[in-house]
Amino acid sequence: MKLKAVVLGLVLLSLFSLFFIGQSCQTPPAPPEVKEALAQEQDLWRAGASIFAPKEYEAYRQHLDEARKFFNQEELKIGYFRDYGKVKEKFGHVLEEGNNLKNLMEVRKAQAAVEIRSKKNSLYERYQIFDSLSLDLTMRNFSRQHLAQADIMFKELDRLLAQANYEQAREKLKSIESFLNQAESILRKQLERYLDPAQIAAWKRLAEMAVQRSEETNSLLILVSKLDRKLTIYKGGKPIKTYEVGLGFNGLADKLHAGDEATPEGEYKVIKKFAPSKYGKALLINYPNEEDIKKFNEAKKRGIITPMTKIGGLIEIHGGGKDGLTSGCVALDDDEIEEVFKIIPVGTPVVIVGTTDQSNKAISVFKNGKKEQH
Amino acid sequence: MKNLMKLSVLGLLVVFLFTSCAKQPTQQIDETKAAISAVEAAQGNVYAKEELKKLNDDFNAAMDEVNAQSKKLFKKYGKAKEMLAKVKADAEAVKALIPARKEEAKNNALNAQNEAKAAFDEAKALLEKAPKGKGTKADIEAMKADLAGLEAQMSEVQASIDKEDYFGAKDKAVSIKEKANAIAEQVKAAIEKVKGKK
Repeated sequence: MKLKAVVLGLVLLSLFSLFFIGQSCQTPPAPPEVKEALAQEQDLWRAGASIFAPKEYEAYRQHLDEARKFFNQEELKIGYFRDYGKVKEKFGHVLEEGNNLKNLMEVRKAQAAVEIRSKKNSLYERYQIFDSLSLDLTMRNFSRQHLAQADIMFKELDRLLAQANYEQAREKLKSIESFLNQAESILRKQLERYLDPAQIAAWKRLAEMAVQRSEETNSLLILVSKLDRKLTIYKGGKPIKTYEVGLGFNGLADKLHAGDEATPEGEYKVIKKFAPSKYGKALLINYPNEEDIKKFNEAKKRGIITPMTKIGGLIEIHGGGKDGLTSGCVALDDDEIEEVFKIIPVGTPVVIVGTTDQSNKAISVFKNGKKEQH
Repeated sequence: MKNLMKLSVLGLLVVFLFTSCAKQPTQQIDETKAAISAVEAAQGNVYAKEELKKLNDDFNAAMDEVNAQSKKLFKKYGKAKEMLAKVKADAEAVKALIPARKEEAKNNALNAQNEAKAAFDEAKALLEKAPKGKGTKADIEAMKADLAGLEAQMSEVQASIDKEDYFGAKDKAVSIKEKANAIAEQVKAAIEKVKGKK
């Protein structure tokens, strides 16, 4: 009897085991969301989720880990007891969160690109202005060394932007800004006079008085604005023609002595016309005038220049090309000096000023620079 | 019957010993961690970024398996051990890949540096023989100053190479080469300008 019961028990146990094994074999495969989520995480990481949305990516990773752990627990169960419905649900949520994260990253990437490009453009504008200003100065090599380095970094920045490497691009912007600030500090020292409202007002008064005299006497006048690199001919107080000019190697400085390669500032007149001269036709002006001689003697007394230094002369308005470099003269293109030469007689007043513009390019650049630094 | 009971108890004891007391593969875990750390130390985050990420993910998956087993009555660490062994082997393989990749990056940086130097030297030589007339003096002075800036950046390339930042060094060298070529073109234009005026 006992033996029969044992055999029956064993038979039942075998049947139950067979049923169980059968059920286990029928277990459906893991839901596709599991693989999709793992692939999605790789894609998000590659796209820089940890950089563009670190908090959200961390939360996403945590939810993915939880889902994965849940899935692993389910995998450890015998097939019949596995609940893939919940696994599917959990991974479904993770996938949705991942898609939202992808969209968020795209928005943030676009914002970063816009922000960096806008900053780059503003710095490049500063660079271009400094580049142009530095070409007007004698001590250009100091500022241009910084500017050339900034230019190289702009090229590197473009490469980083093309690679969507915004983190390093931001760092590059900082380096560029630092080089521009160093160039600015040098230029600022050299352009101090062009930033001084009192000095600009004095130049403006000088120019206005000359124009007024031209109007009162219905006569010709040549007005040269060094910073603007413009030569304007007035007749009866009205401008009749404006030309672009080239200046000396130290053109923006006020001439003090021979060899300083600066272009003089003040009231002069044409004292002689040369045709031909070394540089096309030329109008010689009466540098040094009394004011120049006074300044020169004072500088000598104060020891600013050596006793052997000479005051110089032979300052002309001549041809040769506005893109050249003079030793203090004002240069025009050859066809333009032809025109001027025809119009201007000996005795015509020539007024040379730094600038008459209270919001000139130097001021606007440095004021903007100040605002940015604050 | 008594014998059957004894055998059952003994059997249970054996099963208990072989399952409940199965220990976590701590030594293997530590070895795998060390193998991944070695990849990081060999600058895997620079030269094998993707592979390092996969190693970390696979290691986490293996640890999930270890943790899941540790909560079970009948612990089986066989799968976890297999996973850990694979991660360790993969880590060693990734580490072995790095020197070649580093060498390649280094060679690329050095080539770019040489090209930049050649472009710089060419621009410098052109500038030295450029006619310093009234029409070109300004341009030449400006370009000399620009070249001085390039020279400063050339030393930055070397500094990056010394720091083993080969990608950064290459990018900078390529930018220097572009700028040096642009300067060389400007010098040629200045020379042409003078020729044209003669």
